[in-house]
Amino acid sequence: MQTEFTISSFALRNLKRKPLRTAILIAAIAILVSALVFALSFVSRVSSSIRLASERLGADILVVPAGSRGAAEDVLLENKAKSFYMSRDVIEKLKTIKGIDQMTYQTYLTTMQGKCCDVPETVVVAFNQDTDFVVKPWLSQKFGRKLQKGEALVGNESAFNIRIGLVDVDKVLFGNVFKMVGVLDKTGTGLDNALFINDENLEDILIKGQADLKPGQISIVFVKVKKGLDSYKVAGEIEDAFVELDTMARKDIGKSIITTLRDINQIFIFTMILISLLSGFLTWAIFSAIANERAREVGIMRAVGARESHIVTVFLTEVIIVGSVGSIIGIIGGTALSIVLAKSFSIMKSLPMHLTIMSRLLIACVGFLIGNAICIAGALSPIQKIKKMEPLLAIKKE
Amino acid sequence: MAQIEVSELSKIFSVGEQDITAVNNVSLIIEKGEFVSIVGHSGSGKTTLISIIGGILKPTVGKVLYNGQDICSLDDDNLSAYRNENIGFMFQFSSLLPMLTSTENVLLPGLFSRRKDMNAVKKAEEYLSLVGIGDKASAYPSQLSGGQQRRVAIARALMYEPPVILADEPTGDLDEETETDIMELFSKLNREKIMTFIFITHNLELAGMASRQLRMTRGLLTEV
Repeated sequence: MQTEFTISSFALRNLKRKPLRTAILIAAIAILVSALVFALSFVSRVSSSIRLASERLGADILVVPAGSRGAAEDVLLENKAKSFYMSRDVIEKLKTIKGIDQMTYQTYLTTMQGKCCDVPETVVVAFNQDTDFVVKPWLSQKFGRKLQKGEALVGNESAFNIRIGLVDVDKVLFGNVFKMVGVLDKTGTGLDNALFINDENLEDILIKGQADLKPGQISIVFVKVKKGLDSYKVAGEIEDAFVELDTMARKDIGKSIITTLRDINQIFIFTMILISLLSGFLTWAIFSAIANERAREVGIMRAVGARESHIVTVFLTEVIIVGSVGSIIGIIGGTALSIVLAKSFSIMKSLPMHLTIMSRLLIACVGFLIGNAICIAGALSPIQKIKKMEPLLAIKKE
Repeated sequence: MAQIEVSELSKIFSVGEQDITAVNNVSLIIEKGEFVSIVGHSGSGKTTLISIIGGILKPTVGKVLYNGQDICSLDDDNLSAYRNENIGFMFQFSSLLPMLTSTENVLLPGLFSRRKDMNAVKKAEEYLSLVGIGDKASAYPSQLSGGQQRRVAIARALMYEPPVILADEPTGDLDEETETDIMELFSKLNREKIMTFIFITHNLELAGMASRQLRMTRGLLTEV
């Protein structure tokens, strides 16, 4: 029985003739694409986490004790358990700044399993319910009341991360028993792993003396500026007026991480350029060899009526099969690497934001296109050369 | 109008700093249905001449008219179509594609043709039977002897019944009996289908079977 005989099946058979060589080429493209997909996943996860976190905090300016910007970013973006404090008096001081429209504050406590608490290390956020505009939007509609003393809310991912189990269980925090009464919506910030309590509980916590906190201390003030005002200008005014305070405008949250990321990006870009050049060179070398080996066959095909475009189609089909198979393997490998190796990068380990399916699809498309483009670019010159040869000269080429 | 008209055709190859004239100012007219043999020593320019007529090599100077159309001025698409639709080549060396079976090799010109023949596979198998290797239809070239490969190439050239067959020592690897059979097949196709045959041979007896005999000597063509 005769199988269907087309230019694509023709190209496929050509590739099968030298399986090892085809495999090497596919592997080269797969390595390139997998490195690209890994790098893109890494960079886009970090940058979208930072962007989302700063948007979801709902404040224009964050005010922290002088020298605590990094610690605040660690808590807000990376869920690192850190504590930093200032006197609650800053609230009164900040009221003197004209551009401020609204303020709320939070106090961060760090749990230590076995010492004060029966949950693993995490941040406990004590927030003021009367002034709060940060946590409230994260509360799902079903929790339609104020948080009482002795009650705690669980960050969207903490139930998984710190293994405290389902809601309505009792847990000891700083010597006091708290009932977990609800779960917050996902925010994309480091606070997704935190526990939230009403700041009225701080009094009882201070009495038990198991938290590293003094009376009247808070960690951070979230500020909304008046409509139409420049938040950078207001932040500058705050810093000028109070040397004991540092500020972060919304757009500057994660700046130190972004700076680090920029360096990592440059390393990735440099590595990608090198791998792309190597893959392109390998494709060129292999297709030059293929073109030389098959010159006689190309000559015969031309002699029986193949046009230049047919020769290009045969070779391009081979290139695209190699590029596509390599790219698909690379996409799977790069995605798997980005998931598995994420645990080896401290910055990734603590990032709350995961890439959406759309982002992953977009990265896969970019990987697929670049894999194929490099393959085509590498093979273009040998294909051009072979298609232009006079049939008889190609046939006689040994 | 002549089917093929070659006028003042020359082909010069540059080898290093030396120019070699393979075909020297050849003029020739071939009418439709002629059965022409070309004899001559190795290197006398026979292969170069039929390659230019077949459109697989460009001349240095001169023209080749096919049914009045100068093939040397055609662009790639039209020149390829000319080869595909009008010329059947038989080369003096193995010219099969190694990853294709005998049938697929015979069908190869059809892959590049604008015309599609629904019965092509059946026809290819019939041609393979005509040249005596019907049982090797599914064999790959590596599974065939030199003579069998030659016969597949002959079947491929004849398959789409082109108006002109250009054959470069077509029976070179064949035994005497098969050689006679093939030449009789050529002769039959020439008579019945009015196909033009131009074949190169060193065998003067075979050359004698042609209705017109030509000789090439150092690039110059003469009638015998």
